[in-house]
Amino acid sequence: MEVSGDSPAESNKSKSKSKTPRKPKDAQLLKQKSPAEFFADNKNIAGFDNPGKCLYTTVRELVENALDSAEAIAELPVIEITIEEIGRNKFNSMIGLANHERVDEALYDDFETDKAREKRLAKEARFQETQAKNAALGKKVKAPTAFKPTKSREASYYRVTCKDNGRGMPHDDIPNMFGRVLSGTKYGLKQTRGKFGLGAKMALIWSKMSTGLPIEIFSSMKGHTFSSFCRLDIDIHRNIPHIHVHEKRENHERWHGAEIQIVIEGNWTTYRSKILHYMRQMAVITPYAQFLFKFLSESPDKNMSVRFARRTDIMPPAPLETKYHPSAVDLLLIKRLIAETSKQNLLQFLQHEFVNVGKSHAERLIGEMGPDFSPKMAVKSLTSQQIVRIHQLFRQAKFDDPSGDCLSPAGEYNLRLGIIKELHPDMVATYSGSAQVFEGHPFIVEAGLSLGGKDVKQGLNVFRFANRIPLLFEQGADVVTRTAVKRINWSNYKINQAQDKIGVFVSIVSTKIPFKGTGKEYIGDDISEIASAVKTAIQQCCIQLKSKIVKRIQAREQQERKRSLNKYIPNATSAIYEILKEMSSSHALKRRRYEGKDAELLKQVSTQIVTEGTLREKLAQHVEQVDYEMALEYATQAGVNEEPREDIFIPPLEAEYECTELFSPIFVFRLVA
Amino acid sequence: MADKKKRRRAASSSDSESDPLHFKSKLKPDSSILQTLTALKSASASSSSSRPASLSSLNLPTAFREVSDLPLSSVQSTIESLALSLAHSILAGHGFSFSVPSRASANQLYVPELDRIVLKDKSSSRPFASVASVRKTTITARILQLIHQLSLKNIHVTKRDLFYTDVKLFQDQSQSDSILDDVSCILGCTRSSLNVVASEKGVVVGRLIFSDNGDMIDCTKMGMGGKAIPPNIDRVADMQSDALFILLVEKDAAYMRLAEDRFYNRFPCIIVTAKGQPDVATRLFLRKMKNELKLPVLALVDSDPYGLKILSVYGCGSKNMSYDSANLTTPDIKWLGVRPSDLDKYKIPEQCRLPMTETDIKTGKDLLEEDFVKKNPGWVEELNLMVKSKQKAEIQALSSFGFQYLTEVYLPLKLQQKDWL
Repeated sequence: MEVSGDSPAESNKSKSKSKTPRKPKDAQLLKQKSPAEFFADNKNIAGFDNPGKCLYTTVRELVENALDSAEAIAELPVIEITIEEIGRNKFNSMIGLANHERVDEALYDDFETDKAREKRLAKEARFQETQAKNAALGKKVKAPTAFKPTKSREASYYRVTCKDNGRGMPHDDIPNMFGRVLSGTKYGLKQTRGKFGLGAKMALIWSKMSTGLPIEIFSSMKGHTFSSFCRLDIDIHRNIPHIHVHEKRENHERWHGAEIQIVIEGNWTTYRSKILHYMRQMAVITPYAQFLFKFLSESPDKNMSVRFARRTDIMPPAPLETKYHPSAVDLLLIKRLIAETSKQNLLQFLQHEFVNVGKSHAERLIGEMGPDFSPKMAVKSLTSQQIVRIHQLFRQAKFDDPSGDCLSPAGEYNLRLGIIKELHPDMVATYSGSAQVFEGHPFIVEAGLSLGGKDVKQGLNVFRFANRIPLLFEQGADVVTRTAVKRINWSNYKINQAQDKIGVFVSIVSTKIPFKGTGKEYIGDDISEIASAVKTAIQQCCIQLKSKIVKRIQAREQQERKRSLNKYIPNATSAIYEILKEMSSSHALKRRRYEGKDAELLKQVSTQIVTEGTLREKLAQHVEQVDYEMALEYATQAGVNEEPREDIFIPPLEAEYECTELFSPIFVFRLVA
Repeated sequence: MADKKKRRRAASSSDSESDPLHFKSKLKPDSSILQTLTALKSASASSSSSRPASLSSLNLPTAFREVSDLPLSSVQSTIESLALSLAHSILAGHGFSFSVPSRASANQLYVPELDRIVLKDKSSSRPFASVASVRKTTITARILQLIHQLSLKNIHVTKRDLFYTDVKLFQDQSQSDSILDDVSCILGCTRSSLNVVASEKGVVVGRLIFSDNGDMIDCTKMGMGGKAIPPNIDRVADMQSDALFILLVEKDAAYMRLAEDRFYNRFPCIIVTAKGQPDVATRLFLRKMKNELKLPVLALVDSDPYGLKILSVYGCGSKNMSYDSANLTTPDIKWLGVRPSDLDKYKIPEQCRLPMTETDIKTGKDLLEEDFVKKNPGWVEELNLMVKSKQKAEIQALSSFGFQYLTEVYLPLKLQQKDWL
């Protein structure tokens, strides 16, 4: 990379490199890697595969941290995210590198050799010739396509800024929260968006790898009179923060929250749609948040700004930290729990460190463990063999399933609002399943189904959410996609899988989402508990929509019945009349005899009293009558109701009520005091 | 590595065992095989001499719908009286509707005494003045008119011809074909009595002489391709044969092999194939041969669920045409091969077997539930083996031992061992 400036970060890096002398011949040398180094080498694990994906993942991590931070203090999130393109010159001046003119042109990859130029000119000439010919022939002239110069491999740089109104960070913790990989606040057993304390740090590592510029953090906590400012980067080899500036500033507006600014290499052109999809889907699953997304380019015509307005001010309750379920722990975890517990004896330990173990249950369990165990024995004195025994028993014994109380699903209400807000569908249905269990971790599946809407493609559009984060990649293998495509018989519900604009939204929340692959991008199709829960949820939505769809089809049929019946009258009557005509001629020739009214009818046919026109007329009359009867029947059945009106949501302007809120999955009662 | 070792050990322990062609040495001279076949033929002739019971003689509690061959004039008069009643109904201002026997699977029943599927007598009304049925009703009227014309002029047309007379209305040949079956149900006659035939599909070769529209045909002198089975069974008469059995082949490729090797000269037989799912003409032809010549029928189909399905269509009839099963089915077909148990018995190499797909396995399991499979315990066993081993093989898998293995070793050995079910 040509950006090897004399920024402090760079010099630091080269210094640390020189400290560890290389001994290439000594292959046996034992080396150790810091976590930060490991993730720098394997950044694809965290979703930093290529510059484009890095830009996407950076945005994503910052947005998710911002949401978590705002929700942690029960504040309705307001998040501003800005991506600013930084041109080459500007970037060079930022890092203090003088612009270099190219001297030896042929040295560069995008250099055009004489041969290539000849070829291009010939092509252009040919194109112009055909263009002129077409113009002479009066054909429509194609808009001249601009000849793009061969794509350069030059990197493009972006400043990503994310501002939220969340909790902010304690002044002293800021360096460690950004400059130390695998340190985090979300390690407990709890439904969280992030998990490993990796996101923001990975963005920093990437910025260090691609631009060498540090991260800048403004933060202020509620009630504090000062705000913190910190500029830092990360010492990858030692996995510690490297602080440039760390100071307190005045905070006059009493602002709280965080603003993070980072400059990274990226690729906006290829990942533009992914980032926008991400924002839109995030807006669907968090309709109570307000997002402002801005893209600033060097050329102002490419600027864009998208605002995802708040649609509701009801937030799902914050997820609770929960204890482990006995069937979800392994040996190591038991040891850790023993080390961390404040309880003295075994009985208390079992009773208080695990869910679904009551006192009497714990006593029975201890009795079952064998003669070496007693309820009163000190839990810290357990030998490793005894711990193995406990683990075995946990595996074999039966426990009640953990409840889903600790989870915080988006809720049918929010999901529905989100779908309506972002897609404006013709119909929408939502369903929230009850909590189920996979390997000791509770999970809840919620589904939404929409038909029609703007900016929706024909066919199935699958929107996947895990712990209220949209999943955009690896769609094909995901359990939701597979279920929607293969296991739902859409035609059963009068939905046309190929033609209708179907939106399938499935949100899964759990204390542990069983992601497949390294990138945390999809949930495998091999977990039957989740697969069947997803299927049921989608089917429930389908059932809700079916009656609506049937009604709509009936209404359409109602309008078109007469027309579609009349269309077939000529065909049907001519077929019958042809037979009659043949018969009447053979009747006249006395080849065959008919009697009574049959003979009379044939006579009428041969004397042209009954013609095809007569049949047609009579049949049309019959159709008319049937249509009238059916219309009457439809009207009595359907009543005179019009289409139900869509509810509108009026956000409160100024009013601040003291109110008590009663939550239910589908609605909220607000009692104004 | 281990595999290689195993193979080597097997080779050293018994050289003949590993050689697939050792089966050839088990073959007795043709004369003794012919003896078993003669015995089979006489047994079959004596058993089929007792006329199978008809549906009416069984006195079953439910009513059934069966059709019969009707002469052209009665087809015509049935259509005419139907047309008259329709016209009266229209003129009286009631519109019109057809009463069409339902051919849905709920209306089908397998009768074990007859060993075939029959149609129960449930029927549905198809009124003109309903959006759901107006299209079908119109097509039905149109087909009736076309059949009426055929009966007046006494000519035959193919289903394709029929479709092209009014492409705009029919839209798709499958629609006119299915309504054609409805029409034969309504009129209570077989499809061949409507003078509508399908194009030729089946072929026959071997020791058979019959007259086709008056021309004598000797099926041993029809070249390699054999004689196409006439789509119109009325043209076929005067069947003569010195064959000992009829060999029913699923695939064209196996048929070619048998015909080219003149298998019917070594073992006197008649070889028939419909190249996949059998059409009406082939089924009628097979039934006629079996009834007139009193020959046993042996079937050579793929070792997969579809092979057995094809076998069942010959034997018990298809659900689509169950109203005419009395005329279309040939009872007592023996499953000669290739059976799932043959795969190991004849040491078909692994690379010639195919894994069954999920749908294959499902079809197999569904077949196990079918009555016509359940009545034959041998078939159930074979099918269970197939579903359990999850392997299928085509007849062509035998070609891995040489192209002529089928005719020179496999079939003679099977016949010699009376290895049919």
